[in-house]
Amino acid sequence: MKQLRTALVLLIVGGVLTTIDLFWAFWRSTVVTFGTATFPNAVTTARPLLGQTAQGFIYGKAWFSQKIFYFHVPVAEASFLVFGVAAFFAIRFLMTRRKDYDTKSRIAMEVTLLFVILTMITGDLWTKASWGVWWQWEPRLTTYFIMTLLVIAYFVLRNSVEDEERRAVYAAVFCIIAFIDAPISFLITRLIPSDHPVVFTPNGLDASQLIPFIIGQIGMLMIGYAIYTMRMSEERLHERLDVAKESLEG
Amino acid sequence: MRQFKAILKKDIVMELRTKEMLTSMGLYTLLTLVVYYVALSQAGNGFDVRLIAGGLLWLAFLFTSMLGLNRSLVHEKDQGCLEALLLSPLDRPVIFFGKAVGNLIFLLIVEVLTIPIFMLMFLSGRPIVGPIWGIAVALLVGAVGISGIGTLLATMSVNTTGKDFILAVLFIPIMFPLLYAAVAATSAIIIGNPGYMSLFWTAMAIGAAYDVIMLVAAYGLYEFIIGA
Repeated sequence: MKQLRTALVLLIVGGVLTTIDLFWAFWRSTVVTFGTATFPNAVTTARPLLGQTAQGFIYGKAWFSQKIFYFHVPVAEASFLVFGVAAFFAIRFLMTRRKDYDTKSRIAMEVTLLFVILTMITGDLWTKASWGVWWQWEPRLTTYFIMTLLVIAYFVLRNSVEDEERRAVYAAVFCIIAFIDAPISFLITRLIPSDHPVVFTPNGLDASQLIPFIIGQIGMLMIGYAIYTMRMSEERLHERLDVAKESLEG
Repeated sequence: MRQFKAILKKDIVMELRTKEMLTSMGLYTLLTLVVYYVALSQAGNGFDVRLIAGGLLWLAFLFTSMLGLNRSLVHEKDQGCLEALLLSPLDRPVIFFGKAVGNLIFLLIVEVLTIPIFMLMFLSGRPIVGPIWGIAVALLVGAVGISGIGTLLATMSVNTTGKDFILAVLFIPIMFPLLYAAVAATSAIIIGNPGYMSLFWTAMAIGAAYDVIMLVAAYGLYEFIIGA
């Protein structure tokens, strides 16, 4: 019960942090510019005035679609992390054969599925705004899409094994194999030339961008942990209910 | 080593008696080629089929290998052979390598038979730029990965209610990096753009690295699967 209360608090704090992150991102962070536009006269605009030449006033073209970064990247990184947690519990399960590790691995996979879907949706919004297409077969997008399919396949596999112990073993083995794709997807933009931006380089972000990003990342991890804990306590209640039912019937 | 040979021999003898796997895989590939013709029939004469030939070839192998993997494990299960193997005092990794090498041999036979037919039907009159042994290397690297991890996933999927559907759902996304590398290497040889050999070797290195990772994972995890 105490755990559940902590989870609730974390969920609220995480939600607040993510909201702050989004507000901060839209109101205070430096707008990234990707080009310039020249006007013959000075115009009133929120975009920065970069200089003045014989042709007129030069303004930076704002890259507003970049704002989705403050949501998209935290949720994507959280998805990799939670997937790792699921794989860790899968290994622990195969080593010890204790049922609660299997449950933990499954719940972590559920959170992964949620985060992966959110990443795909926010990523699509960005691709449409920035590249002008809904989807592009580009290394990061492709490998992440494969990861999404693997996470879905995990649940398809679970649902089609009847024997309980066998289901747990199969799911754990598949979870470990599937996790091999996660580092590939994470590192691929650094290995292969790709259109997907690599943000975390030296001088990649200035303070007005880094602070909301970190806030959003912490918030997202809190939400992830809270959902995980709440689902776990629900599972424990289910188990107690099953035991109670059995003892009443027996 | 003797145990390994015994398992391999069992699979080969069974295949020689029934000829079921090779017939079904070979026929399935031929049917795929017919479907390719239909798919390409409206593309016109100007279309250079070499641009997608590598992809078409690997598509045929991918699907036929799923058919073969499923067959090879369904036999074991239906006739109670898998239980018998477990009862016998065999090392578990030996079972894995026995089955995987058996599948590899059958897949390679189908590939070697298919390639001439494919070239005759789709690539006659269109030269292959690179050396032919390059395609052989690509086939080998691809087939090793397919039969290694495929044997593990097929052992899982025969014990599920979905069987071949589950195999497809698990197998295709896991196979993706290897498939991509194999298609890139094969296409590089067939199309032969400038600097194609370096592209070929890069793709092969990635494919081989993925093979190693997957084989180690499959080798380590097979014991859990077969014991469950």
